[in-house]
Amino acid sequence: MKSGKEALIHPPIPPLPPIPSPYGVAPEYVKKRAYELPNIVSINISELFPWMPKPIYPPPDPKAIREATRKALEKVDMSMIKPHHKVNILGSHHGFTLLGGEPYAEMLKTIKDVVEEKTGARDVRLVLGVGLRHRENEIYIRRFKLDEYFNGKAFNVSPLDPGIPIETEIGTFYGIRQIYDADKIIHAHNSDVREVHFHRHVDRAFKPFGMSYARLETRSAYHHNLGPRGSNFVARAIFNSKFVQEKWTFASFLRASPIGILGVYADNNLDRLDKKLLIDNLRYYGAVMLLLSKIDECIAVLDFRSPVPYVFAGGVIFANFTGLNIDLFDLDNPLPPYTWYTEAYYDEFNRPIIPEVPPVNPAIKAIVINYAWVGYPSVFWPKNIPTIIVGRKQADVYKIDPQNAEFLKYAVIAEDLEAAMEFAYKIAKTDKVLIFDGVYGSINMSKSLAEYLIEKVPEVEEELKKRLPKWLKQRGLTAEEIRDLAKYYNEPELEEIAKLF
Amino acid sequence: MVRLVVAQAEIDVSKCTKCGVCWSICPTEAIKWEPGLYPERDLQYCYGCSACVDRCPAYAVTLKPLPEPRIVKTDVSKVDYKLVKDLCLKAGFHPKQVVCFCTGTRAEEIAAAIILGAKTPEDVSRMTGARTGCRVECIQPILRILKAAGIEPKPKPGRHAWYGITPLLFEIPREVREKYAKRGFYFDQDEQLFRKILKATEKV
Repeated sequence: MKSGKEALIHPPIPPLPPIPSPYGVAPEYVKKRAYELPNIVSINISELFPWMPKPIYPPPDPKAIREATRKALEKVDMSMIKPHHKVNILGSHHGFTLLGGEPYAEMLKTIKDVVEEKTGARDVRLVLGVGLRHRENEIYIRRFKLDEYFNGKAFNVSPLDPGIPIETEIGTFYGIRQIYDADKIIHAHNSDVREVHFHRHVDRAFKPFGMSYARLETRSAYHHNLGPRGSNFVARAIFNSKFVQEKWTFASFLRASPIGILGVYADNNLDRLDKKLLIDNLRYYGAVMLLLSKIDECIAVLDFRSPVPYVFAGGVIFANFTGLNIDLFDLDNPLPPYTWYTEAYYDEFNRPIIPEVPPVNPAIKAIVINYAWVGYPSVFWPKNIPTIIVGRKQADVYKIDPQNAEFLKYAVIAEDLEAAMEFAYKIAKTDKVLIFDGVYGSINMSKSLAEYLIEKVPEVEEELKKRLPKWLKQRGLTAEEIRDLAKYYNEPELEEIAKLF
Repeated sequence: MVRLVVAQAEIDVSKCTKCGVCWSICPTEAIKWEPGLYPERDLQYCYGCSACVDRCPAYAVTLKPLPEPRIVKTDVSKVDYKLVKDLCLKAGFHPKQVVCFCTGTRAEEIAAAIILGAKTPEDVSRMTGARTGCRVECIQPILRILKAAGIEPKPKPGRHAWYGITPLLFEIPREVREKYAKRGFYFDQDEQLFRKILKATEKV
């Protein structure tokens, strides 16, 4: 029987398979997955941090999601929805990247069922916003038969679609017209941290109002006009507008975490929900981000059905790993090493315009793209870190993508994964490998990296205790508010967080 | 970086329903259309951005690779750089600041295009290639630099490629900043950061 460190090292976990997509190479060209490489193992996040709660999914049980959604919706006031109303359930593509998409699809379907049962409304539509892959939800609508479930009324909308002006307390922004083309809207999202570099976990629960549900003008304002810590105010301003408040009903969120789906929260009060998610996320994702921030050197292998910055390991997206040389949750740090404000501030010789621009995570010695989608401007990475793409077919996908026309100017192509890794080992001069393949609950990595990280866990626990109060205070949370949330959500263990203040 | 055009749109008229969506969203106005007619491409200005591919409800548009890529850019050296710098500063940008992340187009190139005669976002896109990657993120810098040049274009009726300028950090009123000060938005500190970027222009 294994003991000590060895007991925490397990065989690698197979990730989700590649899927047909206009944004990625055809699955038959992904010949080998990174977890199949020699000396790859996995570490289990719950074993490292046993205080994390047990997920309800995995195991893959859609019934658990349906029950959790129904239970959460019991507390929600739906009296503002009348039988004759057109109701839009608003969602985002992002939810479908979690655990294959089934939990999110089940939550969406259950919301429809409960709304129809409780209110008598019959015209309940599903309207799904995207990022920069303008047809992405069409994949998920087909995959999860959402069009059938919603009686032909499941729609994918894009920031390029017709818009509607929304007057806010700071001026006019623009929403996607079809999002708001209803009497009432339901905000159906998830709490996965994802783009910490963009939202900095300030008003995270509001973000889709400034992004998935928003026109291109609004998204451009988010990334250019309001500052690296002010960006998500776009979402808050739109949500608070008279226009949105007149249609507002409630939110229903999948409670995501690095180990899986913990449940569902639903609330008419988005502010209260946001604060609860803040506490959860700073603890769960904070622990994993602090752990990964300890990595001193590695080859990052990207191997998941998302664009370069959005492939993830332990719930942490690659874009955030790029910036883990600083504390991304600490708002005293103005600029993450990767965010669009940061990317803007490099001159034509790739030198920072001001000294406040932090370098990208120096621990990333090389990037191997075994499988990652296009549909997001990703030239920043090969420009700053040696990058090897696996396979000519995959390289061709990058070559024709209008958002990545110059990607191959900076990246090199290897014939197969083994050749890519051989090259990466030579330039990186390390055998530590971290795999971003979207596995939940565990992280696939090299044995050398697993042994290194396991030793860091006690240090991470101490740091989390020290930093958590600062992170929470920076976002306006008080001990009293935490106690109120503990009562409302019936989670007395939050008292331990309040005591840290 | 420059805009590297590697593909162009091709319309399959057997699938096309003449709805005009492609015309209404093309960032370079490379598509001509009138109600009841098939759209026609102007290949000089089709930069393969795939807006039409992505939004055609009939899936009638595809991207065809070009045999040889071509480059689109405005040569900043053809313009008095003091004018470029002043215009960028007035708009709130460092001239070297990247404003289009897909093409790497910098504020100086947008400013140069405007000084050389660009009057609309479509003109800017034709001259620089900006707005022809994701088609989403760089509209605000372009509108801000146009406005700083005294140009406030109006969208063409029927098109929804862009609607208008949106608020800026410098414009957020004091009472709004104070109302949300405790939430973590750090407006004042980010404004200081923006001003530092602008001050760094002195070294250019």
